[in-house]
Amino acid sequence: MPQLDTSTWFMMIMSMFLTLFIIFQLKVSKHNFFFNPEPTSTKMQKQNTPWETKWTKIYLPLLLPQ
Amino acid sequence: MNENLFASFITPMILGLPLATLIVIFPSLLFPASNRLVNNRLISLQQWVIQLVSKQMMGIHNSKGQTWALMLMSLIMFIGSTNLLGLLPHSFTPTTQLSMNLGMAIPLWAGTVITGFRNKTKASLAHFLPQGTPTPLIPMLVIIETISLFIQPIALAVRLTANITAGHLLIHLIGGATLALMSISTTMALTTFIILVLLTVLEFAVAMIQAYVFTLLVSLYLHDNT
Repeated sequence: MPQLDTSTWFMMIMSMFLTLFIIFQLKVSKHNFFFNPEPTSTKMQKQNTPWETKWTKIYLPLLLPQ
Repeated sequence: MNENLFASFITPMILGLPLATLIVIFPSLLFPASNRLVNNRLISLQQWVIQLVSKQMMGIHNSKGQTWALMLMSLIMFIGSTNLLGLLPHSFTPTTQLSMNLGMAIPLWAGTVITGFRNKTKASLAHFLPQGTPTPLIPMLVIIETISLFIQPIALAVRLTANITAGHLLIHLIGGATLALMSISTTMALTTFIILVLLTVLEFAVAMIQAYVFTLLVSLYLHDNT
């Protein structure tokens, strides 16, 4: 039986490792499975004012207690 | 006749270079990577199949077992595509090689056993003794359970090899018989019909993958969760 000829075994196993563990997994991992759209709450979120989004080293003059 | 019959299972080499590597890599060319948000028809179809299969297979696992989803999905796509491509005439099927199937079965099975041992040592050792055995039977039963554990990877590999090889051999034999019977035309129609039926049945090589991954999956489930 030619399957029992061990001279080719190393090459077969190596090519299978390459294909299965690397190539196929890279391809399957790129698939994106999205969630179905769900309704979100309509409450308004607090919007950051421009001087609150950036942290300045010194101070934020508009946020100092007046 | 033996020489001719098994000739299609010799690992193909071309001028001393391994052609078998290219043949093993070829099915991955049929699965393009998904680059865009909405892909073309082929990639969407494959994505749908993978989603269907993964929902079916990974549903019974807890979160620890579901980390194996990528591995099992690529396993089933690899074996499935390789087996189906092997049904084409004059093609070489890598899964007929015992070497490759052993190389797949042993590391994956060992991974499940070691995962079970690392995370739930007592529970996985408890598998060796079913509940409620009478005391004098215990030593023999532990031996039997150990043997049945260690035979799992060999059974996985040999099952896949033997099934695919046997199917291909049958196709070769019956095809040869049909050609020989062509001069006697009454039996030829019957034989070609048998070939057709056999090919359809062999198309359940895809069921072989199901068997392979499912068995592996059951093993993983038992070792990880129970």
